[in-house]
Amino acid sequence: MTEPLLSIRDLSIAYEVGALDVFAVSHATFDVPKGAIVGLVGESGCGKTTMARALTRIISDNARIAGGEMHFDGQDLVALSEPKMNALRWRDISFIPQSAMNSLDPVYRVEYQLLEVLRGRGGLTKRDAKKRAIELFEMVGIDAGRLRDFPHQFSGGMRQRVAIALALALNPKLVVADEPVTALDVIIQRQILDQLQYLQQQLGLSVIIVTHDISVVAYTCDRTVVMYAGKVVEDCDTATLLAAPLHPYTMGLKNAFPDLKSAGSGILTPIAGSPPDLVNPPSGCRFAARCPFVTDLCRAEDPPLVKKTAGHVVACHRSDEAEVLREQAKQPGTWEAGA
Amino acid sequence: MSTLKPILIRTLQLVLVLWAVVTILFLMFRLMPGNPLAAYIDPTFTAEQQEALIRQFGLDKSLLQQYFTYLINLLQGELGYSFRYRTPVADRIWLLLPNTLILTFSSLIVAYAFGIFAGAFLAWKRGSRTEAAALPVVLATRAMPEFWLGMVLLAIFSFSLGWFPAGGTRSAGTHYESLWQLYTSANFLSHLALPMLTLAIYSQGLPLLLMRSNMLDVMNEDFVTMARIKGLSPYAVVIRHGARNAMLPVMTSFAISVGYQLQGNVVVETVFSWPGLGRELVSAVSAADYPLAQGAFLMIAVVVIIMNLVADLLYTLLDPRISYA
Amino acid sequence: MPETPAVVPRSGIARFFNSMQLPVGDPFTLAGLIIYGFFFVMAVFAPLIAPYDPIEILYTSDYDLASDLFPGERGHILGTTSLGRDIFSQIVWGARSALLVGLTAAFMVAFIGSVVGLLAGYFGGWVDAVLMRLADIAFGIPFLPFVIVISAFFEPSIWNTVIAMALVLWRDTGRVIRSQVLSLRSRGYVEAARVSGSSDLKIILRHITPNILPLSFLYGSIAIGWAILTEASISFLGFGDPDAISWGFMLQDAFASQALARQAYHWFIPPGLAIILVVSAGFFISRGYEDLLFPKLGR
Repeated sequence: MTEPLLSIRDLSIAYEVGALDVFAVSHATFDVPKGAIVGLVGESGCGKTTMARALTRIISDNARIAGGEMHFDGQDLVALSEPKMNALRWRDISFIPQSAMNSLDPVYRVEYQLLEVLRGRGGLTKRDAKKRAIELFEMVGIDAGRLRDFPHQFSGGMRQRVAIALALALNPKLVVADEPVTALDVIIQRQILDQLQYLQQQLGLSVIIVTHDISVVAYTCDRTVVMYAGKVVEDCDTATLLAAPLHPYTMGLKNAFPDLKSAGSGILTPIAGSPPDLVNPPSGCRFAARCPFVTDLCRAEDPPLVKKTAGHVVACHRSDEAEVLREQAKQPGTWEAGA
Repeated sequence: MSTLKPILIRTLQLVLVLWAVVTILFLMFRLMPGNPLAAYIDPTFTAEQQEALIRQFGLDKSLLQQYFTYLINLLQGELGYSFRYRTPVADRIWLLLPNTLILTFSSLIVAYAFGIFAGAFLAWKRGSRTEAAALPVVLATRAMPEFWLGMVLLAIFSFSLGWFPAGGTRSAGTHYESLWQLYTSANFLSHLALPMLTLAIYSQGLPLLLMRSNMLDVMNEDFVTMARIKGLSPYAVVIRHGARNAMLPVMTSFAISVGYQLQGNVVVETVFSWPGLGRELVSAVSAADYPLAQGAFLMIAVVVIIMNLVADLLYTLLDPRISYA
Repeated sequence: MPETPAVVPRSGIARFFNSMQLPVGDPFTLAGLIIYGFFFVMAVFAPLIAPYDPIEILYTSDYDLASDLFPGERGHILGTTSLGRDIFSQIVWGARSALLVGLTAAFMVAFIGSVVGLLAGYFGGWVDAVLMRLADIAFGIPFLPFVIVISAFFEPSIWNTVIAMALVLWRDTGRVIRSQVLSLRSRGYVEAARVSGSSDLKIILRHITPNILPLSFLYGSIAIGWAILTEASISFLGFGDPDAISWGFMLQDAFASQALARQAYHWFIPPGLAIILVVSAGFFISRGYEDLLFPKLGR
């Protein structure tokens, strides 16, 4: 087993809300292997976006990393000095934002924005940078003639490709994509994901895809990390996650999303209820209120993240009974409110 | 091609407004109490002069005919004869226009340059004591009468300290070969300093507050955050991306400010005895020199209207989202 | 933009004050209101506060003109003018014309602007087109020169400023109110009222006006400052009413009497400061409204 590219250990991120600390991420632990696409999945507010941004160490003014470590390529990003962290930004770790429209400066041509990173951070000469820009556009499937256009002249899908081109500009080791296809229609989603996968294989980089859509994960990711209410609840390879998940939340997620490959098959069953308030998190398992298999133990004690098999960790008191629970989870009736 | 249509529409608007203002002016001076001829003829003119003027402006014809004659004369640049100076009004106006324009534009450029930098600086210093101390001062500059500020500066820097002259555009007895030589001379500049400073201090508040407000908004935009995630230098983040976007509305307000500035000119020119259109308007009205008053007012209005159009066009041109739609 | 309040008081006056939504919580607004209050008291009680009549020419016990006295001399708090008039008394009485001009002009500007905006925004079509072209023309008229020219035709009086402002300065308010009305018009409850057959007048009065009143007051409070500054400029240029002792008149008097050369700072600084205070108060109050109308987080 080679060293993972990224190793998150016990990471906690807190927001200052008034006089209180709200922990958007609590003691998160997972790995990203070299050359893999890892999905970070969960519903809104589960902390996945905060997690993703923490990797760049550019988070909201009122947020802070409250504990833990992020080991990347031999360095702990949490403890790293700002100048050294800045040296890493974009060169080793880059970012694809959710909405490329707002993330591209409207008053500069797209070529300029590419050149800005290629020359300013990559040290290329103007000529080399221009050549590389053409190369990047070709890589993501945009006609190089469009380099001189402004961001608003591109369609949504094209803008996302521009964002990908930007993210790959300096050949980073890790690309963090925050909901990269959420704002696009299903057909374009597939195109972009195909492109991303292709590029990842060609260039051998690692990718983290943050999404709330499990079908995106199913389509693209080698491994998947499931988050709920700021905690990691399951982490394993995607095939296992889909075929034999151990955590009830994962079981529920599967029922709630259409399959990208075969759109329209199966009934959608959302999980009733909503995530707990993180200002006053519950003392037991955070999923207890919505879990159809909840016990008193679940309500009393927060289950720790334990390793079940090599490459599969889960945080659930009843993970040993997973096979039985999975059968029950397949019935839509299990997931109705009050179960 | 798509940018041509808005230009055309706005030019049409400009013509409409110009025509309306010109007509209002015509009506004001014709319908004022007293002798309707008094708008153009002073009793002290010779009989021949009076005859000539009556013919030229159709003063013996109906109001409607007078109106059309007036418009035609206007298009030819014919504004009548000044009662006091016994010269064509147009000559006097063209002579004074550069003085006013120099004062207006120089003070606005200084005001905007300062306002943009200070506004960005204060945005950076949000929540600090510097900001808490600076904002009331800026508000006070917008609350003060410009002529009072001029008086204070005059009292301190001219009368008390003797650093600057007390008025006019040049010292008595000086002579210059050409206008260019005059305007670039140290003498002229020392005369320009205080009035320009007065107007600049008064005007900087708007660009400063606007820039500050825009910067605070822009710095929260996604593309600024992305610039930081890309690891770009603070200069690139704050200036190239932040300020460049924040500046857009400020630049267009420059053109509109010219219109407001010109009004400030009226009083400042008076305080500093600066021979410009504003001061001329005041003295012409005081002396009941109606043709000159009309001419001065008209010229000021024309500049204001043109600058309003420029402001409209500037925004269209500077924002690529509009010009490259 | 806040919708009409859920609990609407019965009485008209109470409803009026309610819809003004005076943002007294904000420290700036409070400071502005206090300053206004201070000058209001000064204006109302001028005869009691001012030690002398502002236009009375004073003489010393030796029958000399009590002119150009410095502060403190012979009991004159701020000294006297070149003509022997008490400066402090002039300041006190000056508050009257300032507030008079300020408030009337501001009311006219806010009123006319709001009516224009309401009509243009609500009825649209040719009404809108005509009114907005009028606004364009108003924008093309340079304001101070216009006031000067008007002053040439009428008797010098503070009302010239008010009339000129009413004729021209409604333009900003008009445009802003119009946009507000346009957005309000498409709201659910307005549509519902129209469908159910309410008359236009009723809709305008009951649904739209209460929601634009805060904006009108915002522009009104800014207009107060403009009015006072304009009146001061007019007086300074010599077109003001020489019998109404305004702060602008004081400055003209000082300037013409060479107070600058004589470094009589006590003469021309106080009127300027008074103007700054009152106009700033207007800004402060409008700032409070702005935060109410266009709340920006963490500003």
